Amino acid sequence: MMADSAPEEIAVIGNIDITSAELKNNIRNTMVEIDKGLLRKMEISVAEAEKRTGKNAVNMQETYTVYLIETRPVDTITEGVTPAPDSLWRRYSEFELLRNYLLVTYPFVVVAPLPEKRAEIVWHKLSADNMDPDFVERRRVGLENFLLRVACHPVLCNDKIFYMFLTEEKGWKEMVYDTGFQAKADSRLKAMNAAFRVKNPDKRFTELKHYSDELQTVLSQLLRVRARVADRLYGVYKVHGNYGRVFSEWSAIEKEMGDGLQSAGHHVDVYAASVDDILEEEEHYADQLKEYLFYTDALRAVCRKHELTQFELETAAQDLASKKQQKEELVTGTVRTFSLKGMTSKLFGQETAEQREAKLQALEQQIEEGEEAVKEKNKESDDFVKTAWEDIECFKEQKDRDLKEALISYAIMQISMCKKGIQVWTNAKECFNKM
Amino acid sequence: MSTVTPKSLASSGQKPIQEICHPLGAEEAASAGVLTPSPDVGNTTSSIGEKDLSLPNGTPVETSSPASSSSLLNRLQLDDDLDGETRDLFVTVDDPRKHVSTMETYITYRVATKTTRVEFDLPEYSVRRRYQDFDWLRSRLEDSQPTHLIPPLPEKFVMKGVVDRFSEEFVETRRKALDKFLKRVADHPVLSFNEHLNAFLSAKDLNKRQGLALLTKMGESVKYVTGGYKLRARPMEFAAMGDYLDMFTQKLGTIDRIAQRIIKEQSEYLVELREYAPVYTTWAASEAALQEPLEGVAGCLASCSGALDELTEDMSEDFLPVLREYVLYVESMKSVLKKRDNVQAEYEAKLEAVAFRKEERTTAAAVPTDVEKCQDRVECFNADLKADWDRWQNNKRQDFRQLLTGMADHNIHYYEKCLAAWESVMPLLQDPQSPEARSDSEKD
Repeated sequence: MMADSAPEEIAVIGNIDITSAELKNNIRNTMVEIDKGLLRKMEISVAEAEKRTGKNAVNMQETYTVYLIETRPVDTITEGVTPAPDSLWRRYSEFELLRNYLLVTYPFVVVAPLPEKRAEIVWHKLSADNMDPDFVERRRVGLENFLLRVACHPVLCNDKIFYMFLTEEKGWKEMVYDTGFQAKADSRLKAMNAAFRVKNPDKRFTELKHYSDELQTVLSQLLRVRARVADRLYGVYKVHGNYGRVFSEWSAIEKEMGDGLQSAGHHVDVYAASVDDILEEEEHYADQLKEYLFYTDALRAVCRKHELTQFELETAAQDLASKKQQKEELVTGTVRTFSLKGMTSKLFGQETAEQREAKLQALEQQIEEGEEAVKEKNKESDDFVKTAWEDIECFKEQKDRDLKEALISYAIMQISMCKKGIQVWTNAKECFNKM
Repeated sequence: MSTVTPKSLASSGQKPIQEICHPLGAEEAASAGVLTPSPDVGNTTSSIGEKDLSLPNGTPVETSSPASSSSLLNRLQLDDDLDGETRDLFVTVDDPRKHVSTMETYITYRVATKTTRVEFDLPEYSVRRRYQDFDWLRSRLEDSQPTHLIPPLPEKFVMKGVVDRFSEEFVETRRKALDKFLKRVADHPVLSFNEHLNAFLSAKDLNKRQGLALLTKMGESVKYVTGGYKLRARPMEFAAMGDYLDMFTQKLGTIDRIAQRIIKEQSEYLVELREYAPVYTTWAASEAALQEPLEGVAGCLASCSGALDELTEDMSEDFLPVLREYVLYVESMKSVLKKRDNVQAEYEAKLEAVAFRKEERTTAAAVPTDVEKCQDRVECFNADLKADWDRWQNNKRQDFRQLLTGMADHNIHYYEKCLAAWESVMPLLQDPQSPEARSDSEKD
């Protein structure tokens, strides 16, 4: 049974501006605004994680983690008595299903990403093991963040399936499949992977796609290098720990120097040990960056959807234009474009008047239908562009806000680390002076 | 002739002698960081007779002008245990210069002396000496003062391919070690009166003197090392010294290894940091509102990299050489202990021989003077050694106190620099659009 998410206080050495508990809270609070959407009505949290074993689809024994989702109506809390929350357990795969459903159903929304399925960009001390308690804990936080993001999104928060995800443990999966989203999901997947050329995409989307590619590249690189930096920093601090031991041994053979050496050694030990907390805090920063790294996929998906609708519009318009042209040719008898029919009729004689009339009628019908189709596609495209761009503007503001906060927390962490360093070495120096 | 100037040399302008702080003065100790240039010999002759600096008993004191703050600090350390004692011999090793001749290239150092001792003809000297001259001095001292601990010299041989003998760092490290060596000799109540030291400090041309010294001092040179006698019972206190030295050497070795490992880890950390900072700059290029904050972070990380580079360099230059020198010091001490053992063994053997012979004689003869001489030698040696041991322990304590507080200081300064960088970038992160934030970041 995983411990509750209460963060531990780090050892206070000298003056430290911020404890890790406060820091975690700050990170959580600044990222998601609690007074929006569904969060106005209910509190949502992913409170715990638990290991389970069971038989999977192919009847093999497997171990997996489940997460406890707790919800509580907001108005009951303000009464002073906090009732027990409603809760249910969900697996990571169910979160994935929810997200896929949202992606398909709301293609104009930049849907928040899920935390990593597997620990990928980690520094050596953190294991890449999915069962590792630290990884599970960070994933729990990530899943909660996902739910909060969805819950405060102006469009997504009203979705019934989302609400059921939070409240109906049994039968939720069937509900999702009942919506028929799977078919849409399949065609969407096909469309995503199809190759087509759009003649007039909205420039903003082209720029956005370019930006998300750049952001993905730079964030991946940043996370990789940061992990290496963390590795090295760990090494530097830990080697200092060896001083503690040798100072202690040395002090045993000294008369006047002994006490100073011994107590200095203790401070150097404290210094060496402090790196664990420092790097744990830095993981939060890495997680914040990772969220936006994964967000780039969602951005690209929206851009892709725009390309698709634009392409469909252009195709429909093209079809209409060619039908109109065919009609014109039929009416005027001129053949401007090469066609096999045209050639054969030239060779084998003109068609009869009735045949021509029938063709004309058919074409006119098609033209009418085509015009309707173009109108429809036009509206679809316009609506999409409008709603998608609205959401993208919100996303951009959110991104700027969140990443700025992340940088500030990072700077605060660095400042705290420097202050601790100064404190510990000053203490050691005092001891050395007494030698 | 190319000039190699020590890295730590900084000029605060020419200062007349009287404005240079005297190390024994209480207030002056606080301004130990004052850097003064090395004045020409001509300048100082005019300062003789200045009454501005004097000890409480009224005797005027000559100050040697330190060429760098570290040598001034060095002198402060050595002065500690001569509290109240009058110091009348001050020496400095500075101003390394490269000499290129057809036969060889080598470095010479200026050896400056200021003294009121009657054993010296002049109150001041300035001569140039090379490493082999120091080596000569040391072996002369070892031979002529075998009962005393002679401070070590820096390593004589360096692998030609591996170490650049003429690089700034190497020359400066050597100069500091030579300076320390000479100061330790000059502070020793017996060694400082040695005539070879006198020659070393004052003779214009040492080569001629080297030959002379060898001839005249042949008689006194006693082979203490090869005794061939076996020691019966080593007195407890000397046995304890030997044990201590063995354990101490071990600890020194461990500390050296740890220090090297830390420097290595820090260098690797630096490599990664140097790759880390530019990624923020790249990121900043594709952002709008985040551009300034990201560039601020990039700049900050670059500052931290610079600070780390300095830390690693400082530790390499200041910390490791002193540790290594102490290993050599321990070796010197061990060899003196061995010599003492041999002298005692010789005495014991002779005493036994006499006792044996005594039994054979019928008449009671006086103890031969030969044995008496040996007994004297043992007692003198023991006394000298004990005095030197105490002195050495004291110096060792001060040296390590200075060394370790120095290490702490380097680390403190590193973190202070990083702290300043991050604190200055904070306003930029919090509100990049505000004019205060911009002007704050520009201030740095």
